[in-house]
Amino acid sequence: MTTQPTVAAESDPNPSAAPRPSGRTARIATTAAAALALAAVAIGYARHSSSAQAPDTAVTAETVSLAPGPRLLTLTSTGQVTTVGKADPGGARAVSPTKCDRAYAAAGTVACLYADGALGTVTMRVLSPDLKERKAIPVSGVPNRVRVSASGRMVSWTSFVGGDSYATLNFATRTGIYDSRTGTLFKTLETFSVVKDGKPYQASDVNYWGVTFTGDDNTFYATLYTKGHRYLVQGDFAARTVRTLRDRVECPSLSPDGTMIAFKAPVEGDSTRGWRLSVLDLKTGRVTETAETRSVDDQAAWLDGSTLAYAQQHDDGTKDLWSVPADGFGKPRLLLRNAHSPAALG
Amino acid sequence: MATAAVATTTAAVVALLTAAPSASAATSTFTPVADTYVQDTTPTTNYGTSSLFTVDNSPVRQSFLKFTVSGLTAPVSSAKLRIRVTSTGNSASGGTWKSMSDTTWSETAVNWNNKPVIDGGTLASLGSVANDQWVEVDVTSVVTGNGTFGFGGSSTNADGAYYDSRESGADAPQLVITTGTAPTPTPTPSTSTSTPPTADPVLVGAGDIADCGTGGDEATANLLDGISGTVMAIGDTAYPNGAASDYTNCYNPTWGRHKARTKPATGNHEYNTSGATGYFNYFGASAGDPTKGYYSFDLGNWHVVALNSNCSVVSCAAGSAQEQWLRNDLAASTKPCTVAYWHHPRYTSGSSHGSTTTVQPLYQALYDNNAEVIVTGHNHDYERFAPMNATGGVDNTRGIRQFVAGMGGTGLNGFGTIQPGSEVRDGTTWGVLKLTLHSNSYDWQFVPQSGKTFTDSGTNSCH
Repeated sequence: MTTQPTVAAESDPNPSAAPRPSGRTARIATTAAAALALAAVAIGYARHSSSAQAPDTAVTAETVSLAPGPRLLTLTSTGQVTTVGKADPGGARAVSPTKCDRAYAAAGTVACLYADGALGTVTMRVLSPDLKERKAIPVSGVPNRVRVSASGRMVSWTSFVGGDSYATLNFATRTGIYDSRTGTLFKTLETFSVVKDGKPYQASDVNYWGVTFTGDDNTFYATLYTKGHRYLVQGDFAARTVRTLRDRVECPSLSPDGTMIAFKAPVEGDSTRGWRLSVLDLKTGRVTETAETRSVDDQAAWLDGSTLAYAQQHDDGTKDLWSVPADGFGKPRLLLRNAHSPAALG
Repeated sequence: MATAAVATTTAAVVALLTAAPSASAATSTFTPVADTYVQDTTPTTNYGTSSLFTVDNSPVRQSFLKFTVSGLTAPVSSAKLRIRVTSTGNSASGGTWKSMSDTTWSETAVNWNNKPVIDGGTLASLGSVANDQWVEVDVTSVVTGNGTFGFGGSSTNADGAYYDSRESGADAPQLVITTGTAPTPTPTPSTSTSTPPTADPVLVGAGDIADCGTGGDEATANLLDGISGTVMAIGDTAYPNGAASDYTNCYNPTWGRHKARTKPATGNHEYNTSGATGYFNYFGASAGDPTKGYYSFDLGNWHVVALNSNCSVVSCAAGSAQEQWLRNDLAASTKPCTVAYWHHPRYTSGSSHGSTTTVQPLYQALYDNNAEVIVTGHNHDYERFAPMNATGGVDNTRGIRQFVAGMGGTGLNGFGTIQPGSEVRDGTTWGVLKLTLHSNSYDWQFVPQSGKTFTDSGTNSCH
């Protein structure tokens, strides 16, 4: 976003509402107005100058391309698809008029989960790198998670179809998977067979969310909820099965080399207390907490083999994109203001 | 408020004392120099600027009043403490009132933790008190001349009694003192030197309210204690299921004390109980016909419509009974301004529920009839939209300003994608939305829970 409109809005003290000044009052009012104007300029200046250091970048007319390349896909807080240079997120930001509530892209496949507030429709839109629609899958609920396999073939999404948030037990989600090569579409994974703790399992309260795909475009990980537990499951798309691996793992995100899973760990096992962004080593089973101590309610994305990106929300719902090393060291870093739903395009 | 109240006191005293010397028996009326209450569940909260004070045993609340009597030149023959029950403050017990030796407490600093002790003799143990009743307590044994006198009230009844405080203006407590020996006429209620202007009506409330698992509805009910007017309870009034027990256990102890002035609308949680019978039984006639759940009324220059946005239960479609009733109701209204409220928002950026398009025909009917404001809930947050038409467009000429006011007390949630037209949002503060309904405009104000700072206010003209 440019800073200019912000300055204009800040400098408008609604003059029509001010009483008509006269005499001594007039001087005071004038002084006050002048002070307000100066304050507005100061605010504008402060914002403008801070943007030199903080990555609140200028918009360019550059066409948004989500083709593979050294760029980072994010959405603005109002849902617009944007890209910035991966090496320089504070640099120029290309902004598209296309809106999504949640987006991800890989290898030329763009997944844009979008709720049209005017029409009341929710659609899993599969787009080309130049944001042309290739496939539209009607979805119900509130958009929540979306992911594309590294090859660009597999697409998955999660929406809330009931209840409020992951923090409670009183919610329902729906997670679907679409194979863009074969056209196979599962609008819910709830028909898949479950093996829990080595035994076949059936329950009416099974919910899935947060799919992440492996490199074979068949095996995936996700969260399975049942009876108060939030399991990491490994799924086999062709066999329509999942099996539980471990409890208290939500919103998995597989590292590019397939050896680690970043996830949300309920704080002391209690999701009502928030989540600690953590990393599971699949070989050793060891869990490492990242240096991000604030609660993270996001399906993190890997920017590279060692860095995670995720959103944090302000009180007013605007979101900023942060990154933190996956190894537990370092500290969180603000990557980009007014941004969420990250995906490294290359 | 405090400054204004002091000024009123001074004026009253001067006026009365000027008249006093001409009579052998004179009556002087004093208003309090301080009055407030404290509450055990909010031990550090001060209610000094509240327009009421209260005695209650659930939560435990005690009230303190302080009068400074001066200018008396003759012995006191009679002293009466007069306090007025608020328009909805009736109770089976008006409380026990005693004198207090401690008059050092400050109206704007006293709280439960530092409250003075009510240590004097019992002056009155009141029975039931009625709405708008002036209650008189004989305090002749205490007020014997010039000086500062304190009174304290408490109650052992869980049904609290509410009285207008000095901040309420004309209905402020009085200490009526008669001096001299001549037969005394019964003192008349305060004869103010100028009639205060009639205040414009207030419509105040929120949705998503009473949840026994949070302290939010306690916080917002406390806000209502200090705001007079009609209360809109905008659905999801009693969690989790709108069952009779949810009202008894969760709603009644908080917002229930404002029930007599509440005009509710039903949310989805009410229908977790078949037919929303818990809701309709609790609110009774105030909630309208249980098969409909929509109704309208007037406030000053405004027409107010409460609708049922559970459109799968009571249809909202164009041509439906509700939509046709609404169009006829709006056409019949003679008021220049209109406000409507229902539970499910046409527009919202909330993270939990998307925009509800099934209510679009209701929005359209209001738009077609030049309504000004719609207040909704459902997402547990606060959001103000620009004036919008029914199809998603900002319309600064005829558009209706829609609020999401789902911050009434249950657990708060954040936001998803910020939607077109959204102007202000907050997802971390419980509060109430106060609409002051002027003759041809309205003010809106987000009133935050005690201790929080988010607020939002503004003014719009009627169309």
